[in-house]
Amino acid sequence: MLVPPRRQKRSSRALGAWQPTAAHMRALVLSAAAAVAAVIGRRADLLVIVAPLAVAAAWGQLARPRALSTGTAEIATTTLREGEASTIVVRAEPMGDDLEGAATLALAPWVERRPSTGTVMMQGGRAVIAVRTTRWGRRQVGTVSLSLTSPWDAFRVGPIDLPDLSTETLPLPATFDTSAPTPHPRGVVGQNRSSRPGSGSEFNTIREFHPGDRLRRIHWPVSMRTGRLHVTSTYTDEDAHVFVLLDAYSDLGPREGIDGRPTSLDVTVRAAGAIAEHFLRSGDRLTLRTVGAADVPLLPIGSGTGHLRRVLDLLASIAPATERRDEGERAIRGIDPMALCLVLTPLIDPTMVELSHRLAARGLTVVLVDTFPPHLVDNPQNAYQSLAWRVRLLSREAQVSSLVARGVPVVPWRGPGSLDHVLRDVARRSSAPRLVRR
Amino acid sequence: MTQPPSATGSAPLATTVRTLRFGTGPEWSSHQLALTAANTLGVGLYLAALSQAAGGFSGLYWLILLVPATTMSFAGSGLSLGLLAVLLYSWFILLPAGSFTWWSLPAAVGLLLSHSAVSLSATAPPAARFNREHLRRRLRGHAVALSAAVVMAAGAALLSGRGLGPNPAAYAIGLAGVVTGLWLARTNPPRPRD
Repeated sequence: MLVPPRRQKRSSRALGAWQPTAAHMRALVLSAAAAVAAVIGRRADLLVIVAPLAVAAAWGQLARPRALSTGTAEIATTTLREGEASTIVVRAEPMGDDLEGAATLALAPWVERRPSTGTVMMQGGRAVIAVRTTRWGRRQVGTVSLSLTSPWDAFRVGPIDLPDLSTETLPLPATFDTSAPTPHPRGVVGQNRSSRPGSGSEFNTIREFHPGDRLRRIHWPVSMRTGRLHVTSTYTDEDAHVFVLLDAYSDLGPREGIDGRPTSLDVTVRAAGAIAEHFLRSGDRLTLRTVGAADVPLLPIGSGTGHLRRVLDLLASIAPATERRDEGERAIRGIDPMALCLVLTPLIDPTMVELSHRLAARGLTVVLVDTFPPHLVDNPQNAYQSLAWRVRLLSREAQVSSLVARGVPVVPWRGPGSLDHVLRDVARRSSAPRLVRR
Repeated sequence: MTQPPSATGSAPLATTVRTLRFGTGPEWSSHQLALTAANTLGVGLYLAALSQAAGGFSGLYWLILLVPATTMSFAGSGLSLGLLAVLLYSWFILLPAGSFTWWSLPAAVGLLLSHSAVSLSATAPPAARFNREHLRRRLRGHAVALSAAVVMAAGAALLSGRGLGPNPAAYAIGLAGVVTGLWLARTNPPRPRD
């Protein structure tokens, strides 16, 4: 699939020369022919009948536009979220008061138009068409064509197709929240409780005052009871590194956009957006890599709202299954050994299972998030397809079992709290000694 | 770095335009269908006026009423020229030479209605809807054009039964000369207005 240019806010094109229409030629020919026939055949009533046509022809000829017009289309917002609406304003300049025009926005996938026909007559030299994108990705919103007509529809330019406008639709992240701590925090900022005592917000214990302790940490009830100064000690707050690996090998299911059922890649991308939003807003560092999609840049490690925008930009640029030869080598190169690896995959392509095995073998903390949409079921009307589907699901179960046997938790994506249980387990496990293969 | 855009205005676009589709053809808006009806009405009005003026004609003529509806997809073509030419020719052959009838006025209205409906239909796609200002402006132009027919009818009524003076062929040659002169004098594109 060809990925269109990132954003094209405005496009314009000269509409060309004015041409006489069939209506004008009809009025000219009929009025002239009828006038001649009326005179030769002494039919005064024929002259009466074609008199309005003659007026129309003369009026249309006299009011012929003298300037060449240029059509312009401009979209108000080029970066949208899924389901968000914007407007396309179509103008013609110069546009005389007596000219009329029609603008049409062609139908494009996952773009809704208002009016639903996409055709709007111009008023005051402009036409406004509302659009709403219903699926993430970079795409063209549809070709805008424009035509102008002079009085009595005598002369016309167009319809001329203006160069396409393109927008970037960022995925609308699914709702996600977790109260579980991120394992292996080791930064200097963030909200994760580390295992070391120090300055932070998470309560550790009450101990005797040491030189250097802050006076506001003094715990007066215990100090009064014991007669010696005691302070409240805390665990330090640190940030963690989260590595998100995304499976772009397949996009299963009908593509119905934000208002319909999600495909496997919809679930994956929206889950990645939600996870990124959660961890980045918590102050953690995050990087995201994709496997199976071409022309997706490597995202450096970062944190904060700006990095969230970069993550969403990257997610919007994914075109599924555009790089079948990708085995994920590049994606898993140079990962922080203390990172929490979240592998988001519908577990259809075995490459992601293999990559998860390799990451786990390196001693990394890996959690596999299953983004297989629950509404995808076999087709009972086709026995062969149904059988193939069941065979595929059986092999998928075997792959999941092999991952679980290695210690890689596999959790289905269910939105808020999906990772709570498994992250708590991982955090608990990470404090225990373990044996890894190097 | 800019903030990620918020998800405001995320409600589905509500307004839909009702359209009609014939088979696998394009969608037709109610306005375009109304224009086809106006075209049919214009042809009907013309035929009715012709029937009254000629004292009746073959019932086959009424089959012409089917043409506007069956050719509405070809509004921008020369089909309408053929239809209106047939109508005018019918008037020419059914009425005697040298006669004048006031039924020519409703016939002129019918012809203009048919011509204008087809012209407007050809300016926009089948699914287009026209706004009121658009139509109001056209009605003003039509009133002016029809007033020309009234003036012409009054003149014809005054002159009916009188001799034309010179040979009618002289008028035809003169008219042809005027048309040729205008054709030669025109500039393409026209000179801009000062």
